[in-house]
Amino acid sequence: MAQFYPGTSKVAENRRKFMNPDIELEKLREISDEDVVQILGHRAPGEEYPSVHPPLEELDEPDDAIRDMVEPLDGAKAGDRVRYIQFTDSMYFAPAHPFVRSRSYLHRFRGADAGTLSGRQIIETRERDLEKYAKELLETEFFDPARTGIRGKTVHGHALRLDEDGMMFDMLRRQLFDKSTGMVSSVKNQIGDELDEPVLLGEPLEESVLKEKTTIYRKDGEAYRDDKDAVEVLQRIHVLRSMGGYNPE
Amino acid sequence: MDIEIFPHRLLSADTTERLLNDLEGIEGIKRIVIQGQRLPPKEINENHRTIILKGEEIDLQVQTGRILMDIEDEEIIEDIRTICEDHLPFGFNIHLGTFIRKQKTVTDNIKYGEALKQIPEEMVGLTDQNAQLSERATIIKREKQ
Repeated sequence: MAQFYPGTSKVAENRRKFMNPDIELEKLREISDEDVVQILGHRAPGEEYPSVHPPLEELDEPDDAIRDMVEPLDGAKAGDRVRYIQFTDSMYFAPAHPFVRSRSYLHRFRGADAGTLSGRQIIETRERDLEKYAKELLETEFFDPARTGIRGKTVHGHALRLDEDGMMFDMLRRQLFDKSTGMVSSVKNQIGDELDEPVLLGEPLEESVLKEKTTIYRKDGEAYRDDKDAVEVLQRIHVLRSMGGYNPE
Repeated sequence: MDIEIFPHRLLSADTTERLLNDLEGIEGIKRIVIQGQRLPPKEINENHRTIILKGEEIDLQVQTGRILMDIEDEEIIEDIRTICEDHLPFGFNIHLGTFIRKQKTVTDNIKYGEALKQIPEEMVGLTDQNAQLSERATIIKREKQ
């Protein structure tokens, strides 16, 4: 059985939950396919998928054992472009964070390339597959309208204090909180271009719910040092890597 | 001496305006510096706007993260704290220390040259070195008593 992450804390359990592809994540909101396309901003809704090469069937490819063994993605079959979605996760108890995202993506999404940075995380794959994955990422526990940002550029904000209304700082103000309804909506696509119609992302999660769902160790939540099992495994890995097989005896 | 008001959330332009207008009523505040993330033009971010402080228009170019103040006397800190409690319900800290530079430096000398001698002491340390003082600093005249 795959071992996803050590530890006995709730945070460790949540990390395992994200990484384990056999666990179905809770669906928290409904976002239509068209809205996902709008937020991504790579093509207009309803527009044909632009392609970079003819469909694989029409290509005369050389015989190759690997080609026989590996079933191509739908997007690869059709010759779609490779496109991306990028998220920024606030350090204030966002449900996911870059490293958990990357590990989860590799377990959950086939044929996708994940890129991890300290404050943001990008996933790249063929356009029609990306839209499928993006929908899953936006609708499930991976996403919280207030503490997670869909940011293709100008990502700054994950380590800053939150705004007064509890939203993560966003210089381009893509996701806005409406005080009267208590809902968050996306008014710009991920690179900050104005949308024709705002896309409703739903209500931000309560602080207590976020603390239950988070995958971030924090002193004012669950401290990493208190998770003895996780620390033990980390220390073991550290020693093994430092020794690198060297045996002083 | 300097104090720093450190709110636990980043302040909107509205809250900043209300807070500064109330702080203005306290005697003994010499200089105020608003520090925070710089914002793009107001078409992109509505928090970048002009606030009005004692009739003086100030272009609020940042999202307020810290308010640094040069004060005359430690006694007024309690008054400041009371005002902050009204405007910052999410919590804040007030720290004592030195937050605004008080002396002219070699870099100032390179930047202003001979003109540095004409710059009053009160204008020193209000902006970062790369910025034009005129773009960032506003003088608010004290009412004559």
